[in-house]
Amino acid sequence: MSLVRIAQLSCGPEYSGVQKEIEEAAKSVEAEIFFPDIKLADIRQGFDLFGLDVRSPDLKLAIARARALVEGKVEADAVFIATCFRCAEAAIVRNELRRYIHENSRLPVVSYSFTERTTAGTLLTRMEALTTIARRRALLAREVQEGLTLGVDSGSSTTKAVIMQDNRIIGTGWLPTTGVLKSAEDAIELSLKEAGIRREEIQAIGTTGYGRFLVGEKIRADLIQEELTINSKGAVYLADTQHGPSTVIDIGGMDNKAISVQDGIPGTFTMGGICAGASGRFLEMTAKRLGIDITELGPLAMKGIGKTVPMNSYCIVFGTQSLVNALAAGSSPEDVAAAACHSVAEQVFEQQLQEVDIKEPVIMVGGTSLIQGLVKAMGDLLRVEIVVPPHSQYIGAVGSALLASGFIKGS
Amino acid sequence: MAKVFIYPTTSLILSDLVARFGHTPLSAALQIREHIQTPGLESPPLQITPEDPKRGLKWAAVEVPAGVRGRMSLYGPMIEQADAAIIIHDADFSFGCMGCARTNELIQFLLRKSGIPILDLRYPRTEEEGIEFVAAVRKFLQELDGGDA
Amino acid sequence: MTEYHPQYANTITKYVFVESPGMTPSDIAIRAYEISQGVMIKETCFGLQITGKEDDVNAIISHLREIDPTHIFVKDRGFPPGDPRRCRANLGGARPGYFGHEFEISLVRFISKGLGELPKREAGSVPKPPIPFGTEKLDAKKLQKIIESEET
Repeated sequence: MSLVRIAQLSCGPEYSGVQKEIEEAAKSVEAEIFFPDIKLADIRQGFDLFGLDVRSPDLKLAIARARALVEGKVEADAVFIATCFRCAEAAIVRNELRRYIHENSRLPVVSYSFTERTTAGTLLTRMEALTTIARRRALLAREVQEGLTLGVDSGSSTTKAVIMQDNRIIGTGWLPTTGVLKSAEDAIELSLKEAGIRREEIQAIGTTGYGRFLVGEKIRADLIQEELTINSKGAVYLADTQHGPSTVIDIGGMDNKAISVQDGIPGTFTMGGICAGASGRFLEMTAKRLGIDITELGPLAMKGIGKTVPMNSYCIVFGTQSLVNALAAGSSPEDVAAAACHSVAEQVFEQQLQEVDIKEPVIMVGGTSLIQGLVKAMGDLLRVEIVVPPHSQYIGAVGSALLASGFIKGS
Repeated sequence: MAKVFIYPTTSLILSDLVARFGHTPLSAALQIREHIQTPGLESPPLQITPEDPKRGLKWAAVEVPAGVRGRMSLYGPMIEQADAAIIIHDADFSFGCMGCARTNELIQFLLRKSGIPILDLRYPRTEEEGIEFVAAVRKFLQELDGGDA
Repeated sequence: MTEYHPQYANTITKYVFVESPGMTPSDIAIRAYEISQGVMIKETCFGLQITGKEDDVNAIISHLREIDPTHIFVKDRGFPPGDPRRCRANLGGARPGYFGHEFEISLVRFISKGLGELPKREAGSVPKPPIPFGTEKLDAKKLQKIIESEET
């Protein structure tokens, strides 16, 4: 595999002790970081022409380097923009440069705001997505599923399998992840049964999710791909908004993703997974406390008013306690369900969504997108009508099956 | 000899004039050199590790971005040592060590707060301004204790 | 985590910039080689980098300054010469500090002029340099006059 050359536009990583982490993450996906070479005169001109009058010289340099890339004065395969977390000036530059590069060139671009705790591991999925877009642009351009393909999403909480034929979903399988391989096999069996086909008939296979490598190797997948690229593609495919901007929100069992997408390709994204209080797991616990199935939580929450329930903590332990106290103090189960949904939505909003551009349509995917109360709470917070496409819970599997059709022999 | 903080801390002009007139310029290079020549864990390019932004907490709170605190871990000790400072105000093209405007604002504030003598200048734009610039620097440095100018 | 062992420990490196109508970096390099004892001298496009024990480096620099006092400028460097972490060939582009040099070198002729001219002038005869911050506000009466003259 040839090295992907990633141009770095940044302010601060050398002074935060994270430059080495950036370079290691790039190296692990067969890429190398470089700094576009320009002259002082180009910096002055590039900065003036761009028209964003920032004060920090390193941001001026980043702007001028971005112009050199867009104008083709410096060649690169991809662009990585990195600035300090919590710097407003840099956040504006980061967003504007990403947009500028995206609108004016074919270069894939990913941006990240780091702290001194950022590690190569944190950056890995982003670098993988970046190099994938650089290497597989033709594959990602696919808008229609062809032939008979299987997609498997081996997630941390659940394993999903989808069989697609001629741009239609003909079989699905969904199981809690117990053993990675076993759950994948069982989910595939379920989908085959529903589709009414035999395994040998499948023409191409794609895998994604935490267990993608393990499962992919076992079932001899043609495409093994991280979930940022796959989910972006899957979301705009299912929502039928493959062109232009969109925002994909995936609140998972263990981690959350918010992806700013342009033409089906991920731009900025945030991945979080530090606090269980901001995950689907919190809603599961709430359902358990209310003595209902998780599938009943959404409709129940739609009938309640969350604001009447005091929630003093986002933490999954203390948060659940608040809900129990509220029930004891006479709050209705409807209000408690609504409060739980609001709490998760608010936490995702505060911790993650503020770092990505919210462009409509906002598409919610993953299992939690079926909990209407959560979708409503998120829509209220963002003040947009949220789109939940059909089969949204199978997003990763659908994206994998769609892209896998690029691997059908002779296609 | 007085220790003179120079701003921009990477300035050739100020480094040269301060040393030429018999004092010690406190420049970014001295701090970088110390990092480069100290054994520890590898963290290219500047040997600034994630520990350095934590050292920067002495000068900027935890809510301040890591890049500012990392830079302050270089400049904070120099500001504390400085007997005087010379500041060039239109240093818009000093990148890298001086690449962050917020850090630069904090440096200037801390210098002023410390109460040391400060000479404020801008880059000369003509030969006559060049003469005025050098004259002002020389006069400022002569008035400091211990110079040979 | 890889352990880091520094090279060139207990040495210093200084840049010597030459911006002179009568002398090139290679002229000064030749002089430096003549007097260099145990120090490392590297010629560059703008002058030299000298690496060695602090006293040795400073001694050479004092000699070099004497050759053309108003056109030789010196500053410290954090890295030893040719360090791969700062090398253009490895980074793809210039290290950020390079642009700062490029900017100041374009102004250094004014400093040379100042250094050359100052001893010729009487003490106290040189005016103070311009105020570096703020902009002078236009006097209200002046503004009124301008408005009136425009109206007539």
